[in-house]
Amino acid sequence: MNYLELALDKAISLGADYADIRIQRTQSEFIYLRNLSLKNTSMNELYGYGIRVLKNGAWGFVHSNIFTEDAVIKTTKRAYSLAEQSGRLKNGKGLKLAHERSYIDSYHTPCDIDPFTISLSEKVEMMLEVNRTLLGYEGIKQAMFMLECTKDEKLFGSTCGTRLDLHTVYLEPTFRATAVTPQDSQSRSFRDGGVACGWEYIDSLDLLEKAEKVAEEALMKVKADSLGAEERRTLILDPIHLGLTMHESVGHPTELDRVLGWEADFAGISFATPEKLGSYQYGSKLVNFLADNTLEGGLATAGYDDDGVPNQKWYIVKEGILKEYGTTRDTAPIIGLEMSRGCNRATYYFDFPINRIPNLYLEPGKAELSPSELITDTEDGVYIDGQGSFSIDQHRVNFQFGGDMFWEIKNGKKIRPLKKIIYKSNNPEFWNSVDAICDSRFFRTFGVTNCGKGQPGQRGRMTHGGATARFRNIRVGGSQ
Amino acid sequence: MKEKMTRAADFIRRHCQADDFTLRIHHTEDLYTRFAQNAITQHIDGKNLYAHLEVAFDNRTGAAAVNQFDEESLKNLICKAENIAKLNKPDPEYTPSEKAHELRELIKPSAATRDLQVEKIVADIAKCIKNAEEKKAKVSGISEKKFSESLLLTKNGFEGYDQRALFSHSMTMKKGGIETKVSLSAGNHAEFSISRMIEQLNGQFESLQEPQTMEKGRMPVIMRPQAVIQWLFYLIWTYNLREADEGTNAYTGQVGKQFFGDRFTFRSTIDDTKLHAPLFTNDGIPTKNIDWLVKGVIKNMQADRYYARKINIEPGSVFNIFIEGDNTGEQEMMKLVNRGVILNNLWYIRPIDMKRNEWTGLTRDGVLYFENGKVQHAVTNFRWNEIFHEMTKRILALGPSVQIEHDASVPAMLIDDFNFVDVTTF
Repeated sequence: MNYLELALDKAISLGADYADIRIQRTQSEFIYLRNLSLKNTSMNELYGYGIRVLKNGAWGFVHSNIFTEDAVIKTTKRAYSLAEQSGRLKNGKGLKLAHERSYIDSYHTPCDIDPFTISLSEKVEMMLEVNRTLLGYEGIKQAMFMLECTKDEKLFGSTCGTRLDLHTVYLEPTFRATAVTPQDSQSRSFRDGGVACGWEYIDSLDLLEKAEKVAEEALMKVKADSLGAEERRTLILDPIHLGLTMHESVGHPTELDRVLGWEADFAGISFATPEKLGSYQYGSKLVNFLADNTLEGGLATAGYDDDGVPNQKWYIVKEGILKEYGTTRDTAPIIGLEMSRGCNRATYYFDFPINRIPNLYLEPGKAELSPSELITDTEDGVYIDGQGSFSIDQHRVNFQFGGDMFWEIKNGKKIRPLKKIIYKSNNPEFWNSVDAICDSRFFRTFGVTNCGKGQPGQRGRMTHGGATARFRNIRVGGSQ
Repeated sequence: MKEKMTRAADFIRRHCQADDFTLRIHHTEDLYTRFAQNAITQHIDGKNLYAHLEVAFDNRTGAAAVNQFDEESLKNLICKAENIAKLNKPDPEYTPSEKAHELRELIKPSAATRDLQVEKIVADIAKCIKNAEEKKAKVSGISEKKFSESLLLTKNGFEGYDQRALFSHSMTMKKGGIETKVSLSAGNHAEFSISRMIEQLNGQFESLQEPQTMEKGRMPVIMRPQAVIQWLFYLIWTYNLREADEGTNAYTGQVGKQFFGDRFTFRSTIDDTKLHAPLFTNDGIPTKNIDWLVKGVIKNMQADRYYARKINIEPGSVFNIFIEGDNTGEQEMMKLVNRGVILNNLWYIRPIDMKRNEWTGLTRDGVLYFENGKVQHAVTNFRWNEIFHEMTKRILALGPSVQIEHDASVPAMLIDDFNFVDVTTF
C-alpha cells in the first residue's frame, strides 16, 4: 500500500492547507567499551511515520508505528484535528509557508563501505586494541571507547507534490583516557565528532597512534599546573575546539525560530535580532561563517530538509557582518523572506521537525598560515585543543568555555602543558577579537551528533569546521 | 496495552535460546502542546511501543531493540541480539540478570491525567495567553500529558510491570528585558491549577521591573526550589561509587564521612505518596527508601549491579529526590544576612573539573537584590562557578521541602558566599 499517497489524499480531503508525511526507519549500532568490558553492544531500529498538517495557519503532528490503512487514516485525521485545535490560538492569520517548488528526487550519503557490513568482531577488536593501548600506560586508570553507526532511510511526501527518497549514514568513534594520581584525575579524548560517510573514514584514521597521543597527553595534563587569576590573554583555538564555540555562539543564535522567540521557554532566544541583519559586526573582517548543507561528510547534508527544501550554501556572517539566518518554511515569511534556507529537521519519525543549525563553518584564512607559524607569531598566550566545559546564557551572548588540552605559549613556543583553564567572553567581543585564521590546508570538521533542542527534546546533528584561529585580549585563567 | 506487552514477553521467553536475557518493553502515549509568542506553534500526539532485549551466551552479550511487534519483528529482535552475543568478545564484567523479587503493589496512575483532553489543555493555554496580552507581554511554554507502561522480564525470574501518568506545564513570560518562568510537573492533573501558576508567574514578573546591574563577587543567595533542583540533577549525575573508588570524582574515600554541609540531607523515598517512585529500576532492582546523604555524611552512593556485586553492597540509583527542609520562610531568610540575592532559576550547568566537583552555570528567570530584610530591586544575571559539596557547607537556612517535579521535593536554601564570577549583559 502506498501510505504516502493515502495520508496526503486524506489530508487534502479533510481540508488541509498543506500536509506532509515522513516514513522513516532509523537503524543504530552502539558499542560502548569501558576499559575491557563491553557495556553495550546493541542494534536498534525505530520505524514509523509522522504526519504534519497545516490548517488555517496552525500545525498538527501525529506519529505512529502501525502500518495499516486504518492507522494511516486515523493518524492523518488526528493530525488534522490537532491543527484545528492549534488554530484556536494563533497570531493573526497564523503561519504562512515560504514558497517552494515540488521535487521528485533521491539522495544517498556518499559511502564506499557501508558500516553495517563491517563485522561486529572487527569493530570490537579495533576498540579493544585502542583501550588496551590506553590502559597500557602506567597512570591511565580508565579507558572508554564509544562507537555509533546510524543509518536513516526516509520517504517524504508533501501535498506540494514533492516525493523524496533519502538515505543518510554517519558514524562517530570517540575514546577517552583518564589519568589518576593521588591528588587529581584528568582526561584526554579523541573526539572529532560524527562524519557522514562509510567505514572508509575509520580506515583512514590511525586510531592506535591517536590512542598513544591521548594517553600521553592525559598523563601530562594530570601533572600539569593551572594558570593563576583571570587575565586578558591571547588564545589560539584548534578547529575541534572552535566547532563547539561556533555551535553555541553563532549557530544557535542564528536559528530563526530562536530569533522569533519560539524557544523562549527552554533553549532560549537570540540577541541576533532581524534589525541587525546587514549591519551587526558579529566578528572581525576576517570572520566569514558559511552555512553549507551541501558539505560532503556534513551531518546536515541530506539532499533536502524535512520541509522538502533542497540543501543550500549561504553566508550567515560575511566579512564580520551578520547577513542571514538558518530558516524554515514556516519561519522565513515572518521576517519577509520568500524562500526557506532548508533548515527544518526532525531526528526520528516521531519528532516534529524544528529549525536546526545547518552545517556551519568558519572559512579558512586566505593568506598562507600554518598553526606552527601562528604559534611562532604569538608572544604570550594559551593554546586550547579539543572541547571541555561549555556554558552560555539563554540569549547566546555571555559564555564560558574550557577545553580538552591546554598549552602555555611564550615567545612563540608551546612551553608547558596546563590544565583547568577556562575563558570568558561574549558576543560580539569574541569573534571581533580574531586577528588570524590559518589557511585551508588546516581546515578540519567537527560533527555534532547530540545537539539538544526542542520540547520534547531532540538530538540534532550538523557539522562545523574551521582552521586554527587566534583571539586577542580574552579573559583567560585557572578555574576558581 | 499491557496484554500486548505480555504477549510479546511470552513470545520472547519461549523463543529466546540464550543462556540469559533481560527484556524491557516500554509503551508511551504522549501529547505535547507547545506555544510561543502567544500562539500554539507545535502540537504533537502519538504512541510508542518499544522492546529492548539484552541476551548472553556465557559471558558474551548482545542487545537489540525494535518498535514493531509482529511475530517476524520479534523473531528478528531475538535473532539480532543472539547473533551479536555469539559474535561478541567475552565481557569480563558480565553480570547475570536479576532474579525474582516481591514488588510493591502498583499504584494506579491518575485517571484525571490519563483522561485529560486536548480541548482542556488548549483552554488553559488560552488563559496564559490572555494574561500575557493583558500585560502586553509574550508567553511561551509547553503542556505535556504523558502515560507510560514498563514491563521487565528476565531469564532468572524477575517479572515486573509498572505504570505512570504525568502532567507538566511550564511557561515563560517576556516583555522587553524582563523574562521569568514557572513550571510544575505532577502525577495528578486534578491537583494542577492554571490560575495558581498564572498568579505565581505574575508575582515573579512584577517583581522584576527595571533590573539594575550589580558587581560580581561572593554573596549570600536564596535559591528558590526551582533553582535548587537544577544543580541537584548534576550532583546526582556524578554521585557514583565506582568512579569514587577509581579516583575520578570528588568522593574518593569519603563514604561514611562528613563531606557535605550538616544541613544537607538527601533521600530517595517510596513513602511519600505524592512523589513518584517506580516499582523497580531499569535493571530490576525493587525500589526502597535509600538515605544518600544524612546531615552531610555520605551514607550510600549509586552503584550498578556489576560493581555492587563486586564489592558486596546493594546496587542502587537515585529514583526520586527528597531533600529535607526546615521551616525558614523567604522573609525570614532575608533577615538572617545583611544583603544578598534571590535566584529563581539556574541555567546551563556544566562541569569545569569533575575531580574537584567544580561546576559553572548562570542565573535565569529573574534575580532580586535584598538588603535589610527586604527586596530592594531586580538585578541582571550572573555567571557562577561553585564546588557543590563546599557550597552545601555554607547553607545557613532551609525552607520547607516542596514538590516541584513529579519525582522531586526540595526546599529553598539560603547559601552564604555563593561565588558569582561574572555579570551578564542582561
